[in-house]
Amino acid sequence: MNLNIDAIKSQTFDAIVVGSGISGGWAAKELTEKGLKVAVLERGREIKHIEGYETALKNPWDFIHRGRPDNIAAEEYWAGMRTGYTANEEHRYLFENDKQNPYIEKKGGFDWLRAYHTGGKSLLWGRQTYRWNKSDFEANAKDGIGTDWPIRYDDLAPWYAYVEKFAGISGQAEGLEVLPDSDFLPAMTMTAPEIHFKNEMNKKLGRPVTVGRVAHLTKPGPQHTAVGRGSCQYRNKCMRGCPYGGYFSSLSATLPAAMRTNRLTMIHNAIVSEIIYDEAGQKAKGVRVIDQNTLAVKEYYAKIIFVNAGAIGSTSILMNSKSSRYQNGLGNDSDQLGRNIMDHHLGAGASATVEGFEDDYMFGSRPNGLYIPRYRNWGKDKRGYSRGFGYQGGASREGWGRGVGAEGFGANFKESLSHPGRWNVSFGGFGEILPNPDNRFVLSQTAKDKWGLPVLEFETSFGPNELKMREDMMNDAAEMLEAAGFKNINAYNKSDTHIGLGIHEMGTARMGTSVKNSIVNKHNQIHEVKNVFMTDGAAMASASCVNPSLTYMAMTARAAEFAVSELKKKNL
Amino acid sequence: MLNRREAVSRIAMMLGGTLSAPTLFAMQTKEAGQKLTADAFVLSQSQKQIVAAVAEHIIPKTDTAGAIEAGVPAFIELMLADCYHKPEHNSFLKGLADLEKAKFLSQNHDGQVAVLTLLESNTKELMKGYQLSKVKVGDNLDKEASASNLGLPFWRLMKELTLLGYYTSEKGIAGAFIYEPIPGKFEAIKIKPGQKSYQY
Repeated sequence: MNLNIDAIKSQTFDAIVVGSGISGGWAAKELTEKGLKVAVLERGREIKHIEGYETALKNPWDFIHRGRPDNIAAEEYWAGMRTGYTANEEHRYLFENDKQNPYIEKKGGFDWLRAYHTGGKSLLWGRQTYRWNKSDFEANAKDGIGTDWPIRYDDLAPWYAYVEKFAGISGQAEGLEVLPDSDFLPAMTMTAPEIHFKNEMNKKLGRPVTVGRVAHLTKPGPQHTAVGRGSCQYRNKCMRGCPYGGYFSSLSATLPAAMRTNRLTMIHNAIVSEIIYDEAGQKAKGVRVIDQNTLAVKEYYAKIIFVNAGAIGSTSILMNSKSSRYQNGLGNDSDQLGRNIMDHHLGAGASATVEGFEDDYMFGSRPNGLYIPRYRNWGKDKRGYSRGFGYQGGASREGWGRGVGAEGFGANFKESLSHPGRWNVSFGGFGEILPNPDNRFVLSQTAKDKWGLPVLEFETSFGPNELKMREDMMNDAAEMLEAAGFKNINAYNKSDTHIGLGIHEMGTARMGTSVKNSIVNKHNQIHEVKNVFMTDGAAMASASCVNPSLTYMAMTARAAEFAVSELKKKNL
Repeated sequence: MLNRREAVSRIAMMLGGTLSAPTLFAMQTKEAGQKLTADAFVLSQSQKQIVAAVAEHIIPKTDTAGAIEAGVPAFIELMLADCYHKPEHNSFLKGLADLEKAKFLSQNHDGQVAVLTLLESNTKELMKGYQLSKVKVGDNLDKEASASNLGLPFWRLMKELTLLGYYTSEKGIAGAFIYEPIPGKFEAIKIKPGQKSYQY
């Protein structure tokens, strides 16, 4: 009897955070710092900061296939192969094996890249960090698309500033309404052709170009060194994990901050299968967990649950949480659960060669590029589609790889390849995808994974708005490179990309104004299950065209403060 | 999530330059669940000798190591076995058979260079055909036939794998580049006369 009580006690916390990725890490930090005892349930294995980054300090020759995926890896990481980089030898250990973690593409293709380990995709993200602008939050209402955001820019602005200070964002203040400035660390340097490009764009097209805003420490502050982070080393091998803590991740920043409160319990290998709903109290009382290795089932209990398992993961947990009150998934009175999968569409842009600048070179490898903020459907510009896109890209000198397609061999050929080649420049668009209820996933009625959980079935495809926008993404890029005087312009618009390639999956449990049109309210709280919060990509009601992680961070910190204040008022 | 530029250019950058679209194609599986076979690939002693000789022609020993010293021949065989499929195995073996027929190894240095120069020139035409047929694959026409018959041409495979093997090897990097695995800073500089590339 006592044993049982002890067991229940050891499985009871003030708050449970499901997932340790970019938003889960923030939830853990904020809730523990506000005095709560928190358990973070991570479905994957434990990776320790620094020592766990097994490929981080390897030399090129240390990889047996010099980075390339072998045939077996290509077969097992079939979704990863679509990205062109995640299945490589340097990165594969941080991505999931798609064969062992199957999903079904019922209609259209969907690229679902997963990272089940401490820190999740915060170890792997592109670190490009942008605030949304005012109109991003108003666009749905204005266009009559999807559902209106119940929050506006001003609701998030103080939280953007709050998370930026801790995360450390390098960038250049530009004073643009379309791309609000963050609280910046010093900006990274542009290459000489990039400065030329920026000046030409300003002069000829009146389009601002800025250096990418990245969550890298260009000048660490005391809040960064206090958790053990150091300066970016400009190795540009970030996706292997950074032993210097040069970029923001859960492992380098938020989890150490949570750990130093002594109120964090990290539980690994714990796959949350469902949230346990208390019919009488009309709230969640805990979660049911499957040990990924032993399959043992266990329950954990808490007053507050933050679901931060990544958009698709979080929503699939809600879908699997069935009760007599919620037969179609927790909080799913609106039938919006699983709908409106969004991402940023990629694979349209242009590249070119740069004449001149032969004397210019760079020391170091910049883990960043240039950013061209959205200008389409902005101000007076009106196009035959809604929303817009930004560009990411930059200029660099060719390396030895230029020899593959070049003519020649022998001593002179060899000698020439040891020197930098000409400058190349390339820009690719990041386009906003509209919320579309038909872009969705459901739980398979028949297929189960090795833990007995339903496999997910996806139905996703680009709509006419995205396809129309892609033409501009390609043509505008070519036009800009031409205006800058660059040569051999190669414009492209790949037709075989899918939603998901951006690995910015958003939507499926959107925020909205009422239980009839959405899953969570303006506090990221499930409308009628008030002690469950969803603050990852799942809550997004639209996608903007800028990278989303900063918005997840800000939403999470904001929701955590609300949750704790509600708890204190005994409202949860 | 990442600074995800267009996927193809990204992997090319990662490997230090521009890789051919066909090579990237060969490295990718197109759709979920596509069956890949573990195709055995082993070279005979005489075939190994040809591979080593051709690799050394592409990257010869000068005041720095050549392809053989950098371990490139064994790397090429490993890569073909592990990272390529039947179409490339077939085209590679055919290329070796052609060189055997031309008595490549018994020719003197200049003769060998002449053979390889001709081979490079012929490969340009073959590459055109290769790209055409891949367009057909992309359009779902005759997928099986072209996938099983047409691999990247021998010379293209030799050159790409020789360069990859050499410029990522310890000896190759030490000889060709200034290796800076931890640069610690990023700054614009002016190039010095004869300056070698930085490798990170």
